[in-house]
Amino acid sequence: MSVETDIPMQEIGSSNNLERSQSHENDNIDLMIDTETSKSFNSLHLLKGDKENVLDDSFLQKPITGKDLLFDHQSSSSSLIDRWINKVSKCDVLSEEEVEKLCDMAKEVLNKEENVQQVSLPVTICGDVHGQFHDLMELFKIGGPCPDNNYLFMGDYVDRGYYSVETVTFLVCMKVRYPDRITILRGNHESRQITQVYGFYDECLRKYGSANVWRLFTDLFDSFPITALVANKIFCLHGGLSPMIENIDQIRDLNRHQEVPHEGPMCDLLWSDPDDRGGWGISPRGAGFTFGQDISEQFNHTNDLDLIARAHQLVMEGFSWSHSSVVTIFSAPNYCYRCGNMSALMQVDETFNKKFLQFDAAVRPGEPTVSRKTPDYFL
Amino acid sequence: MESPQQQVVPDLSAIDSTSDLFPLALLMDELKHDEVSNRVEAMQKLKIIAQALGPERTKDELIPFLIDVAQDDEDEVFVVLAEQLNDTFLPFIGGVEYAKYLLPPLEILASTEETLVRNKAVESLNYLASKMSREQILNDFIPLVEHLSLTEWFSSKCSACGLFLKCFQKLDDKALNEDLQLKKKLFEFYYNLCIDDTPMVRRSAAKSLPEIIDFLSEGYSIEKNNDVSLDIDLKFISSMFEKIIGDLQDSVKFLAVDILISILKFFNKLNNYQHFDDLLSSAINLGNDQGWRIRYMVADNINKITEQFFIAKNGESSQYLNKLIPMFVKLTSDQENDVRKASGKQIPEFCEFLIKAKLGTSKLQLNTAATNEAKNAESTESSKERYFILDEFLPILEKLSVDENEQVRVSLASKVTYMAKIMDREDCVYRLVPILIVMLKDESPDVPLQIISHLENVNEVVGIEILKENLLPCIQELSIDLNWRVRLAVIENIPILAKQLKLEIFQDKLNLMCLNFLWDNVYSIRAAAIQNLKKLCEIFGSDWANEEIIKKLLQSKSDILQVFTFRITLLQALTELITVVSNDIILDQILPFIEHLNDDKVPNIRFNVAKAYYVVVSKLGKKDYSNLINNSILPKLKELMVDTDTDVRYFANDSFNKIESL
Repeated sequence: MSVETDIPMQEIGSSNNLERSQSHENDNIDLMIDTETSKSFNSLHLLKGDKENVLDDSFLQKPITGKDLLFDHQSSSSSLIDRWINKVSKCDVLSEEEVEKLCDMAKEVLNKEENVQQVSLPVTICGDVHGQFHDLMELFKIGGPCPDNNYLFMGDYVDRGYYSVETVTFLVCMKVRYPDRITILRGNHESRQITQVYGFYDECLRKYGSANVWRLFTDLFDSFPITALVANKIFCLHGGLSPMIENIDQIRDLNRHQEVPHEGPMCDLLWSDPDDRGGWGISPRGAGFTFGQDISEQFNHTNDLDLIARAHQLVMEGFSWSHSSVVTIFSAPNYCYRCGNMSALMQVDETFNKKFLQFDAAVRPGEPTVSRKTPDYFL
Repeated sequence: MESPQQQVVPDLSAIDSTSDLFPLALLMDELKHDEVSNRVEAMQKLKIIAQALGPERTKDELIPFLIDVAQDDEDEVFVVLAEQLNDTFLPFIGGVEYAKYLLPPLEILASTEETLVRNKAVESLNYLASKMSREQILNDFIPLVEHLSLTEWFSSKCSACGLFLKCFQKLDDKALNEDLQLKKKLFEFYYNLCIDDTPMVRRSAAKSLPEIIDFLSEGYSIEKNNDVSLDIDLKFISSMFEKIIGDLQDSVKFLAVDILISILKFFNKLNNYQHFDDLLSSAINLGNDQGWRIRYMVADNINKITEQFFIAKNGESSQYLNKLIPMFVKLTSDQENDVRKASGKQIPEFCEFLIKAKLGTSKLQLNTAATNEAKNAESTESSKERYFILDEFLPILEKLSVDENEQVRVSLASKVTYMAKIMDREDCVYRLVPILIVMLKDESPDVPLQIISHLENVNEVVGIEILKENLLPCIQELSIDLNWRVRLAVIENIPILAKQLKLEIFQDKLNLMCLNFLWDNVYSIRAAAIQNLKKLCEIFGSDWANEEIIKKLLQSKSDILQVFTFRITLLQALTELITVVSNDIILDQILPFIEHLNDDKVPNIRFNVAKAYYVVVSKLGKKDYSNLINNSILPKLKELMVDTDTDVRYFANDSFNKIESL
């Protein structure tokens, strides 16, 4: 997971291949529409005249796009998003136009939030999801649905799992629909560089045929808040502390609207890990730092905090205490579909009672339940 | 789009690049694209290209091009191509009479190494064949099948195996000598495939054989048959079966089980039993085979085999079945987990066949009201027989119920309750219920889960008292299982139990458990608990609901209701119950509770209150309670419509609008 291995985005963004495939894609779309209206191309009189050879309608029908939905004046924006939520919760993806519209709306909501977003109790705090969409749905079965329950997710929605697009679309839809009921922080994977290496970029390319959706979402990630403060007592963030941040007000002064930098306070908040050794240490990840109990105690004292809740690390039980007042929460059960770990969430009620709920991976549809057939050539 | 692209593929130089065909050229260009995904996409639009070209040029230009593609591209493209060229493509080449034009590319695809491509090609060829005329089959299709089965490479031969059925279907004129001769010839080809050097080919041949036998048997009946044709069929079927059952490769030999079943069906149809003894020993030999895969196939299909021997009308069926018993018993204690797993779940049905065969009836009537007299009339002989069978198999069930392998136990648990159908009440209580109790206590949650969800089978037979004494304690234990899916299965089965239990027993044993589910940590359990309470109220009525559920819920206040999760659960439970209780209860109990949450400090509670008001009003009816609604409910709702929280305002407005439009 080192930063050095990341490919600079310009290389992929401007690659010829990509441009070419995009332009072809557009050509095809244009052709289909023109075929339908039979205006531009003489050759297509064939299609009109020859009744016997009428094609299967589905070939020529223009798919219903986001635009059609958006120009429906009767629907208010919340019922439009309700429809999207309904669609995505069935593990379907939105169209590119819909994603574009969604990201515009989300940007408006997220830009209003602060670097240290205030969250009130009760709330359910969750860690990494990593594209494991079915496990995210399982999480809501355990913790209860949103908006009836308030949620705080601490980043890393994409990469690794096979359903990053669905996962991030769902969470962003919920954010737009119920901005006060759900908080979504930025993780180190909500970045242009990391997603090119760990799967989100490829998934977008596979599911949409172009990198546009990836570009829309990674642009949106720049607007995600980087930390949250629950009832002034629980400090939530993806990674950990930074030697350059002593009190929370310093975070408020950062400019978060940028790609996750390679170093500096914003990078540390998304990359650091707690450690058994005291003081600051060099992180094996190549970004951020490790921090000891002395550091976290000092930070909590300075800022009058009870607890730091963070994610970022795989923990087999789904949650794990380090130091006395730092808890790691990880919400991707059977991480990468093979780690065999439990997932957890932390419910905090109005009286600061904390309850951890652990759960196992959901059954994925289509997952092989029998052992593989022996291939022919082993006979 | 303004300037037509000039990169027309060479194969299509015939297409002038004048403006009228350039969209086509574009698509064709896509078929040559560097990216596989583009080629796949373009291939999916093949029909559009063919449409634009017209039938003539599709035949003369597109098909030759596709023949080239079929020899030089990626498997992903081949799959789509093979799929496209089925009978739905026929209109684009001018109708079914030109079907032969589609055969060459499909023949190439049917010879590729990738199984997926081959299967698609065979599928499409079969679609085409079913549309083709007899003449076309004779002149075009059969030569293709022959050609495929005579090539050197195994892949073509494998594909050929899947195409014979259609040939036989089209050559079904038994009186016609020409057909008989051709059939004989095809049989010879098929026989050669059954004894091919490559196991893959033999396997494909063995795999397609059952459906061919099934088809052939359709053509005959008990009364009159064309003996020449029947002779030919039987001779080939038996020689092929002999080869396959004697194959040295397990993965070929295990297919003999399916073939055996088809052959048995064939003979049963003809009422011809002269070979049944031989076939029985074949079945027994297969079940005792060295290869576990073969034993697995026998175990998994034992009841299909048994059924064929059972329906034999020569009075021997009971004899046949008796001879199968030792082999099957051996399979249930096989050293391979998979064999025990497959055989365990077949036991109840197998026993049912045995008992039916002994009694010489096709219906078992145990445990029904009418049977008491019938049972007395039934000779003691036959009930002895039944005990004999149960004596044989109940110990096996006992042993499998504590098998070391979890999968074996789960598989058994899914079917073991069906034993109740062939036992009388006493047997069930003393011999089956103990096994079930052991399984309910299994360490793997899937085992009790399976038992609970099939419990009604036992329930019908043993009655409620036994269930109360023996099974309810197990269920109560499971209701606090650590695995939430087990708890969920328990709740989901409670309404079924409630319908069968007397009210007092339910009150006694299960009521508290149902209420406690509401305070579970897992949301899904709480939600299921609410639905369960609703169903119980429907079953036991409004008064019971008030005394036993609603009043008890409202008493639970104080400390539990400090916690947000439980407060919202209680609110949602009461809201859900509104539709199934009387209006008095709503007014006296539920509405005051809802109203008291109107100014709860948590917004999530407040917007659920707003939602609840709508449920109350729509249940009470606007007319009958207009006073209450206008003076009490709506003012409260209006407070929420100007709440500080957006979501509360949204849901309050939503409720208000819905109430207005009632």
